[in-house]
Amino acid sequence: MKKLLAVLLSAALLGGTFSGCATSVSPSASSQPQGAASSEAGSQSDSGGKVTLKLFTGKIETIDVMNEIINDFNSSQDKITVEQEYQKDASNIIKIKFASGEVPDIMTTYEQGYVDEGKYLDLSDQTDWWSRLSAAMKADCTDVKTGKQYRVCTNMTMAGFFYNKDIFSELGLKQATTWEEFEKNLETIKQKKPGVTPWFIFGKEAWHLGHLIEFIPHGYIKQTLGTVGARKAMLDNDKEKLNFGAADGPMAVFAKDLLDLKDKGLINSDVLTATSDNCVQDFVTGKAAMFSNGMWVLSSLTDADPNIVSKIGFAPYPSYMPKSKSVILSAEDSGYSISATTKHKAEAIEFLNYLFKPENQKKYSEAAGAPSAFTDVQADWAPALLANEVTTALKSAANIDFTNEKPAGFSGDDAGRMVQDLLGGKYTPETFATAYEKAWNDGMK
Amino acid sequence: MAVPAFLLFAVFFLYPLSQGIWMSLTDWDGISRANFIGLRNFFDFFKDSRAIADIKNTLIFALGSAPLLNLVGLGYALLMNGKFKGKGIARVMIYLPAIISPLIMGYIWYMLLQPDRGFVFHALDLIGKSSLLGNWLGDYTACMVVLVLVNVWQYAGMTMVIYLAGLQSIPDELYESAKIDGAGFWDSFRYVTMPMLLPSIRINVVTNIIGSLAVFDIVMALTDGGPGYATETLSIYIMRMCYGSKTGYSTAVAIIMFFIILIPVMISMRLTREKE
Amino acid sequence: MNSAVNFMKHLAIILICAVCLIPFYILLILSLNKPQRIFYQGNLFVPDFYFQNFIDAWQKSHIGTAIVNSAVITVESLAIILIFGAMAAFTIARFDYKFNKFVFWLFMSCMMIPGIINTVPLYALMIRLNAINTLWGMSLVCATIALPSSVFIFTGFVKSLPREIEEAAIIDGCSWFRVFWKITFPLLKPSVAAVIILNGFGIWNNYAQAVFFLQDTKKHNIPQALSVYFQQFAGAHWNLMAATAVIAVIPVIVAFLIFQKSLMKGLTAGAVKG
Repeated sequence: MKKLLAVLLSAALLGGTFSGCATSVSPSASSQPQGAASSEAGSQSDSGGKVTLKLFTGKIETIDVMNEIINDFNSSQDKITVEQEYQKDASNIIKIKFASGEVPDIMTTYEQGYVDEGKYLDLSDQTDWWSRLSAAMKADCTDVKTGKQYRVCTNMTMAGFFYNKDIFSELGLKQATTWEEFEKNLETIKQKKPGVTPWFIFGKEAWHLGHLIEFIPHGYIKQTLGTVGARKAMLDNDKEKLNFGAADGPMAVFAKDLLDLKDKGLINSDVLTATSDNCVQDFVTGKAAMFSNGMWVLSSLTDADPNIVSKIGFAPYPSYMPKSKSVILSAEDSGYSISATTKHKAEAIEFLNYLFKPENQKKYSEAAGAPSAFTDVQADWAPALLANEVTTALKSAANIDFTNEKPAGFSGDDAGRMVQDLLGGKYTPETFATAYEKAWNDGMK
Repeated sequence: MAVPAFLLFAVFFLYPLSQGIWMSLTDWDGISRANFIGLRNFFDFFKDSRAIADIKNTLIFALGSAPLLNLVGLGYALLMNGKFKGKGIARVMIYLPAIISPLIMGYIWYMLLQPDRGFVFHALDLIGKSSLLGNWLGDYTACMVVLVLVNVWQYAGMTMVIYLAGLQSIPDELYESAKIDGAGFWDSFRYVTMPMLLPSIRINVVTNIIGSLAVFDIVMALTDGGPGYATETLSIYIMRMCYGSKTGYSTAVAIIMFFIILIPVMISMRLTREKE
Repeated sequence: MNSAVNFMKHLAIILICAVCLIPFYILLILSLNKPQRIFYQGNLFVPDFYFQNFIDAWQKSHIGTAIVNSAVITVESLAIILIFGAMAAFTIARFDYKFNKFVFWLFMSCMMIPGIINTVPLYALMIRLNAINTLWGMSLVCATIALPSSVFIFTGFVKSLPREIEEAAIIDGCSWFRVFWKITFPLLKPSVAAVIILNGFGIWNNYAQAVFFLQDTKKHNIPQALSVYFQQFAGAHWNLMAATAVIAVIPVIVAFLIFQKSLMKGLTAGAVKG
């Protein structure tokens, strides 16, 4: 009898589960923009009337400085407590958070798809912030589709070629502006310094190869079409302007040039297994002459050898297509957005006001190793020698920024894995270009 | 009394699962509103060349890994079954890799095997044979072999323990009477050991098939599915699709993967049962 | 002849053990090297015996808290698995009802369903239960994942136990519920060790769920704490990373040494008869 009861009970429960799925939390219900009572579990007030703000970050280099600033803020007043959550895979994990309605009040992740869905609070009216931000950075923070700002970027980041100045001056080399000069430089290094890798590519890490695509072929597109023009072309998937698949287009030529270097032994032979740690080690020990990366690698370099700073040179990516200039990445970094559904809008803005104070931004900038986007912040983000090196490079080339308008289903890592396949001999330059175009179009759907 | 277990399972597995199945019938991208699209995700899967390649990778990994794990585990078990000094310690050592988090394991194996830089390279360099170590992790064929071997290295201890238990449950009298009947080592292995081991074989074969076809951690830690997509398995594909704005599609692939695992498991259960 | 075979056998065992231990040995060497040394610079086999790494690693990472968290989660989940799993297995093995069969096959087939399919709905559920960043919530999730395989093991074991004692107790007027707790459960001891070993380490090392449900630094389990710590150093301090890994591995090895004898007994006694 007892058994039978149990069976019935469970059957009822099971029925409930299955019928429940159709009505309750189906994905469509949970992704409704606002209104649902459960949509803002992220922030609760506790009994004392104190507000808890959740801050979600994927920026590992600022964890400690943010904790410091947050602690100062929490003890500076008694209404708001800020909690920081760091996640390695922040851009993936935020999707789960959005999908299930647990949205942090403040976050560093930013994605076009969420902008389109109205998930971020419009920050256009925060004139105090925008008047302090440099014009170029404000433009970078502006959504192309709506012309509004949904995030504030506190810093800039740069990417280009890091090179060993000692090796360059010893061999009498100069920074290259064209691909021919660039290749000649690499060849000289290979001939004169047999133990040194001319260009070190750490291709185990797909993101790095994805960045090469981002800076070189996409860099070409962004430079020739202009920042806004390139963004529009990518958003509209304007095939004529992007010209990814053509045999003489930016992708095929890039692929051909890269394979050329590989065949001539001008890049490291273990390109498919080398990691960024290997790259840092080889560079500080003089075994690698140059590598492409962003300023974020600086702390790893100085950690490995504090004396390396005086040897670091910084150069733009040489032009590799006809009628183009060399480019350098100068992009927004460290963006902060507020959830559109937060119950504590005023409190979130109050915290960001605190975070954006010049003295806090100075600390932040120095910890992150990136120049501040605020015009009134004078931070020693890098040793003066290197900072000069970077400023000179920025002036010498066309400045490009990151592509946020890429198709949602085709990430930078995906592009990087295609370059791995290219280096692994799976593609010819032509098939690489057509495959890239196909992946791009498929990702648009 | 099965009810508490069932309740727990219903709340934390079946209930989310039912929603997951619903998701597989939508075009949900993880961000915007989901639309019901029927079985289109399932059809799309078979048109996706990357997905087909990933099935191939997964099957190759499983075909290498599952039999090898069983052979090596059985070999270890036969070796370790006798009486000798330090038996307990030796078993512990062989089992040890299985209890270490794949996260740490991945870091260590990468440091061991990296061409030109790893520990094995330097060790071989000492005796002037560094050329023996190829660029295995960067080679499109060899990287799969490395993955299979590392997987076998890590979990052979687990398989061994189950075979050992099976071996020890075989009464000595059976061997003695086989001996009296004039059976040699191979005969007694074939006619006594193997049939008596069937339950262990079944457990090992089934768990290894499931484990190999669903492999995730070790691949992520060691090759990240690369180079390119050479070692991308189905579970990695599902994960990447799930986060890559094809959430609905990824759940459909997960359901397809369930059947890919189910079929060999059912077959091997049938096979081991009929002989019993 | 016989001694030659014996010798080969011993040699093989020693070789196998060595292969199994190499990575641990490397981890240990790296953890004992001075920060200035780059990987295997100088010599491969003798470390600097620089124990400061362990002190630094302990202080800089949150590995101490993480060990406690992992321990709590593992103990709680195992308790749930053992009690619920054994009860379910007992019912399934002893009563040939349709519902029991259904539950058994449900568990079996769910072992083959990739967990990622549940991620989004499960996360939403955990929020509604206020179970995010709680050790009990994580324990329940881990227990659920491990439940099917332990029911599988327990069912095999209960089937191998004689029914006579139980039936005698029923005739004496005992309820099945009491029979289970007083008679059968104590007899399950050997397979308990098997369930603990086969599931315990997986729970201890859980990363896939911890990423979502243990976000707060104070609630991180070992893999979470390690991965954040590894990331933060981005490979620049191999010695500290290795030292942290060694610290994280020690409790697991100790636990294994304690349980390994009963594991063998437990598996022999029942599990493999299923």
